[in-house]
Amino acid sequence: MIRTRDLTKRYGATHALEGLDLEIRAGGVLGFLGPNGAGKTTAIRLIAGLIRPSRGSAEVAGFDVARDPQAVHARIGYLSGEFRAYRDLTAERYLRYLADLRGGVDPARIASLAERLDLPLRRRIGELSHGNRQKVGLVQALMADPPVLLLDEPTQGLDPLMQREFLGLIAEARDRGCAVLLSSHILSEVEAVADRIGILRAGRLVALDAVDALRGRAVRRLDLVFAGPPPAEVVAAVPGVRILGTTDRTLHVEVEGSTAALVAALGPHAVEDVVSHEPDLEEIFLSLYADGGEPA
Amino acid sequence: MSGAVLRKTLRDEARPLVWWSLGVLAIVLLMALLWNQVRDVYTAELLSAYPEELQEIFNFGGAMDGAAYMNIEVFSIILPVLFVVFGVGRGARLIAGEEQEGVLEPVLATPVPRWAILLQKALGLAVGVVALTAATAVATIIGSALGDLAIPATEAVVGAAAMGLLGLYAGWLALAVGAATGHRGAAMAVAGLVLVGGYLLHIIGAILAAVEPWRVASPFAQAVDEGPISGVVPWGFAVLALTAAAFLALAVPLFERRDIETG
Repeated sequence: MIRTRDLTKRYGATHALEGLDLEIRAGGVLGFLGPNGAGKTTAIRLIAGLIRPSRGSAEVAGFDVARDPQAVHARIGYLSGEFRAYRDLTAERYLRYLADLRGGVDPARIASLAERLDLPLRRRIGELSHGNRQKVGLVQALMADPPVLLLDEPTQGLDPLMQREFLGLIAEARDRGCAVLLSSHILSEVEAVADRIGILRAGRLVALDAVDALRGRAVRRLDLVFAGPPPAEVVAAVPGVRILGTTDRTLHVEVEGSTAALVAALGPHAVEDVVSHEPDLEEIFLSLYADGGEPA
Repeated sequence: MSGAVLRKTLRDEARPLVWWSLGVLAIVLLMALLWNQVRDVYTAELLSAYPEELQEIFNFGGAMDGAAYMNIEVFSIILPVLFVVFGVGRGARLIAGEEQEGVLEPVLATPVPRWAILLQKALGLAVGVVALTAATAVATIIGSALGDLAIPATEAVVGAAAMGLLGLYAGWLALAVGAATGHRGAAMAVAGLVLVGGYLLHIIGAILAAVEPWRVASPFAQAVDEGPISGVVPWGFAVLALTAAAFLALAVPLFERRDIETG
């Protein structure tokens, strides 16, 4: 549904985005991670046809964004990273305006989205809190049930309850066959909803993988509980394993990549329990950023 | 094509337009009612004491009557400035202002083409200018009746139309520059420069023979040369309208192709 080839945007000497190749199929959710200025917003705005590429192309549902922006706009729901709406309009009137521009949206759909997100439709947008304004942005992106969603930092300003509701809405869209590209610097949020993660750094995609695979590349922390004294020398000899500490009969270790060698080495020893700490994407993120880039 | 952008532009414009119209009405009526108090001051002797160039600029070469009085006192400076300020303010806001506030972006991500958005906003602006023009014509006609100025209604309409065309020219120029650049400041600066330059050309052209041939390029000369309150509809009206439309036509491809600013 979304495909970019060598998508590049430069502002003078600044490389905002460099050679992005990406494909998101119907029902796929890709989360962009990266600090501010990494190119997430640039990539999303290029695909939304709001800025033009310096090189390369972007397609939505087979339509080239530069050549056929109307066809693309008819198929996307877009939320900008700094969503702003006419402050003098009520949320309801504003949403009706954008619905008119889209050629009509079922009012019941708007009402149901507003109810789920607890958005007061009758209030003027200028009087709404930041979080409620963000909800207006979410509703306008979702209301037409488009086949493609482009969401830049969608949950900013939302409280945890609403963040969960939002993730539910995205899961529904995905199940409907919607292709979703969303960006965030909140890792848990991307982890919760995306099936793939792309990490951008200084305009380049430095990693693009399934969430599970990206986890596999991570350093994993294990607590190994032995029946007797821990065989520290044996464990320390396994490649990729580092002992962080020992408490009583427990060894706290860090394993890089696969744990297969460690499991094999532990065979002759009486292991009572293994506690695995699920690797946090933040750790992967930080390890990828360790060489040079400044993490968020 | 959905007319939603046009409808929104008209709704946004309705309230300020009421105030602008009341302002125009007050100025025109006040000046018209003063005519009977001051008419004796404008003696032929006093008027002929002015340099010929000034007489030409303000069209009071002939006998002083109600129309000439209104042309000098209201239609030469106050109203043109009001219409230009109205046009530039609205024009710079409609695309560039909204873009810099960040509120245009969600609109531009809908399937309505950018050219259609620009066109609907231009139409909305034109409707606002027409309404202000109508208020001016009505005020002049009423003022003429109350103040005993004896201005024929048709001439009042021509005078108001001259103001309206200046406002449209200024507004569409600012709208076009704003659409082409995305910068409200640039829209106001370019429109301001063109109009101040046009005004100076209009004045200096009347004084300096060397500049005189260029005077026809001035939007002020095009609008007011026959009066502006006049029994003749000047050819300059058509030039003004066509030039204003040309500004928009030039802006369309630039607006279609450029990057939209983040708010």
